[in-house]
Parts: sequence; structure tokens; C-alpha cells
Amino acid sequence: MLEARELHKSFDDRHVLKGVTFGVGPGEIRVLIGLNGCGKTTLQRIITGILEPDSGSIRIGGEEITALPPEERQLGYVPQNTGLFPHLSVRENILYSLKNGRGSVESFHGMVELLGLETYLDLKPKQLSGGYRSRVSLARALASSPRAMLLDEPITEVDRAKKEFVLPLFRETLLGLKIPVLYITHDPWEAGEIGTSFSIMKGGVMSPISSPEEAFAVIRQEARDSGE
Amino acid sequence: MRKVSIWEVLFVPLFFLLIFYPILAILGNVTLDGMAKTFGDPVFWDAVKNTLGTAFCAALLGVLMALGFAYFYIFHPGTVIYRIADFMNDLPIALPHTVAGLALLLAFGRNMFGFAGPTGLAFTLVAVILAMFFVSYPLAARTIASSAEEIDRELINVARSLGDSPPRAYRRIVIPLLGEAIFSAFVLGFSRSLSEFAAVIMFGGNVPGMTMVLASYVFTKVEEGEVSMAVTASAFCILLSLLLVLFLRLEVKFRARSKRTA
Ligand SMILES: Nc1ncnc2c1ncn2[C@@H]1O[C@H](COP(=O)(O)OP(=O)(O)OP(=O)(O)O)[C@@H](O)[C@H]1O
Ligand SMILES: [Mg+2]
Repeated sequence: MLEARELHKSFDDRHVLKGVTFGVGPGEIRVLIGLNGCGKTTLQRIITGILEPDSGSIRIGGEEITALPPEERQLGYVPQNTGLFPHLSVRENILYSLKNGRGSVESFHGMVELLGLETYLDLKPKQLSGGYRSRVSLARALASSPRAMLLDEPITEVDRAKKEFVLPLFRETLLGLKIPVLYITHDPWEAGEIGTSFSIMKGGVMSPISSPEEAFAVIRQEARDSGE
Repeated sequence: MRKVSIWEVLFVPLFFLLIFYPILAILGNVTLDGMAKTFGDPVFWDAVKNTLGTAFCAALLGVLMALGFAYFYIFHPGTVIYRIADFMNDLPIALPHTVAGLALLLAFGRNMFGFAGPTGLAFTLVAVILAMFFVSYPLAARTIASSAEEIDRELINVARSLGDSPPRAYRRIVIPLLGEAIFSAFVLGFSRSLSEFAAVIMFGGNVPGMTMVLASYVFTKVEEGEVSMAVTASAFCILLSLLLVLFLRLEVKFRARSKRTA
């Protein structure tokens, strides 16, 4: 179980997170939907440990991790631009955490097979298409045996036509691991394709919502109100 | 007829007069006699050896320190130590290098830490290296830091989520991505060190066969009235710098090509 309680974060005088509370259980893919700039990435950075919250707490499997540095949290993380290490091959990218005592060669092979990466292992990231880059990024995070996963708009660079193919693959892969997954997107269609549960971020707080359609209605209203 | 720009009119003659011509003047004044005397002078070869050796060490030290600076830039940019170091990087631009030499002399030119004689490190090869390092390090630091600035922070974030501590992420991600900058910083630092005269002579002295470098050799020969030897040594320096520039250019070209084909 990945839980956050009453997270607050301000940048200078901008209060971005105003008490974010949520819980994601094992085998759950909770999709967080929100407009640009509402604080989704800020939340992700706080959970992964790159940013410190002003107050509030984060727990994983009951353990308090709020004060831990990112390297000790054991959370898998797929950023928006895939964040692949350009100087390393696909294989070296996916095996990256092994040198830190994470994951195993078996989990590497498992991920490679599951995500169809066998023939790409010796290529450099820039030789891959956007879809394959995000697969590698996912494989790399999962191969580290994370206790939970965070994905921040991981397939923004992928063509729509390919998304229809990649999303079910991601969903199946993530569900198979039975860990909590928080998936961030501003695209309600994408949310529906991947999620098992949904939340919306608005006004600095996160609230559960029954479906991506409902989330879409809410953010459409919000966008209209803000005049965009 | 095409109108000629004032910049063209200004640039071409002035470039030839002020930059190209003086270089030619050196090369044109090289004589066989001067060459024979200079190349037969063991002190000259000592100066060459000293120059290359000390400049190499200074450049190496400069790159190591610059990597330390870049570490602070990436992981502790808000700290006082980083701010001071960053500020100090710009200082030597306006500082006369005699001042740098004097500063080093006052700091290390006395009996300290119990391991040096009454003049401390002054007038030793270590002093020459330190003087060269002092004036070339900021160049290396700027080169490496400006390249570090371009590294996507998300890569470091990801590396940490995969279990890297900051020093480990620096070693596994940042340093490999700085490869080219490290090389440039080294060559630039080496070149800057080769050319240093004032700081070297203040702190390292000009002991023939000991701490004399090419720059001070040229100076000494002019002072002794051995102009033909000074000219030969100068031509030698010019060829050396041409080689370095060529090396840097070829390297850039080579990397550009291997990038395109990769
Ligand atoms: N390091 C920072 N310093 C100052 N302000 C920041 C910082 N990081 C984020 N912000 C501000 O916080 C707000 C939320 O940013 P955040 O990146 O979390 O939004 P987001 O929901 O991820 O947006 P997007 O959909 O564009 O990715 C924005 O107004 C942003 O300008
Ligand atoms: Mg974002």
C-alpha cells in the first residue's frame, strides 16, 4: 500500500499542494488526472523523494518513508521524457539497478520478454522510437523490483495509434506485479485505457472520482472557468 | 557593384596587421644559427620538458577540481561554498597574473606544514604546477559546469530512484555524459598552462634547468640579448599551440561525425 497524508508544498508564495491525501493498494493502478500545472509532477517528485514536502507524510507498506532519500525508497519511476541514459545501451539501462543490489537477472529477462525488447538490447536509446523508449523506461523501473511504481505521463511522446497498442501492454505488465501504481496523465482517454481507479487533482487536493469521463467533465469545466 | 561593409574593410587589414603579421614576424626571423644554438642548449630541452610536464599536471588537477565544482553545482547549488566557488571562477579574468603569483608566494612560499624548506614550495616544480593550475582552473571549471548545466536532471532523478547515491549517480551518469567537456577542459587548461608566464615566474621562479618553462626561457633569452634563440623558442611555442588547436578542431569534427553516424 502506497499512502500519502496531508501533503503540502509551496514554491515561494505559490501553494501548489494543499493537503494531498490518497492511498493506492497492491494491484491497483490509480490514475491521477489534472490540468497542466496543477501540481502532478510536484506530487510525483515528493513521493519519489526528489522534493521535500513542507508537511505531511508518505508511507509504503506501512513504513514511513517521508525522510528517506530517493535511493532508499525503492520506488520505480518513469518520467515524462522516459529519462533513458543516453550513453548506455538498452540492456545496460534495464540492468542499471542491478549494480545497486536491486532486482535480478531473472526479472530482467522477464521484463525484456514481457515488453518485447529482445531484439533491441544492444541499441542506444536514441535509435529507438518513442514507444520503445517508454517500454525500456518501464522495464528499467520494473527490473529494480520496486515496492510501488510512479509514472508521470510516460507515453506523451508516443503516437496516438501506437498508444492503443502500448497502453494495454503497460496495463498487463503493471497489474502482473501486484504492486501499487500511481499513473499521472492529463489525457482522460489514456486514463481509461490503463487505470483501475481514478483520482483528480484540482485546487491543490486530490480526490477520487468514479470514471475518467467524470474526471474529464470536471477538468473541462475547470479549463472553461479559467478561460482556456 | 556590391557595397562593401565597414566590417569587412575594418576586419581584413587589421586582422592581418595585428594578429597574423606578428606571428609571421617570429617565423620569418628564425635562423639556422638560432636553431642550432637553441636546440643544442640543454636548458631549452629542460624548459620544454618542464613546460609539458607541469602543464599536464596542472591541467589534470584543473579537471579534477572542475569535476568537484560541477558536483557542487549539481547536488548543492544553494550552498555558500558553491556560491563562493562560482564567484571566484570569474575573478582571475581581471586579475593580473603577477598578483596570482604573489598570492601563491605569500601563501605557500614559506616554511609550512613542516615538509618544505625556508622558502616553502616556492621555486619548485610544484610551485610551477600550482601557478599554472591557479590561472587555468577557472577555465576548466567553466567548461565543465556549462556542460553539466545541459544534463537533464531527470536522468539523475531516475538514477537515484534506481538506488544510486549522489556520488554514484555522478560517477555513473554525469561523468560519462561530461566526457567531451572533460576532454576540452583538459586541452584548454593545458594550453592556458603552457602560455602562463607571470604567475609561474613569481611563484616558481626562473631557475634554469629547474623551474624554467618555455615562456620564461623566451624572456630570459631576450634579456640576455640572445634574440635568435628567443625567436627559435618562440617559433617552437607557436608550432606547439598550432598543434593543440588542430588537435582540438579535429577532435570536435571527429565527434560530430561519430555522433551523426551513431
Ligand atoms: N521547482 C519549482 N520552483 C518553483 N515553482 C515550481 C517548481 N516546480 C513546479 N513549480 C510550479 O508548481 C506548479 C505545479 O507544477 P507541476 O509541474 O507539478 O504541474 P503538473 O501538474 O505536473 O503540470 P504538467 O501537466 O504541465 O506536467 C506550476 O505552477 C509550476 O510553475
Ligand atoms: Mg508534470
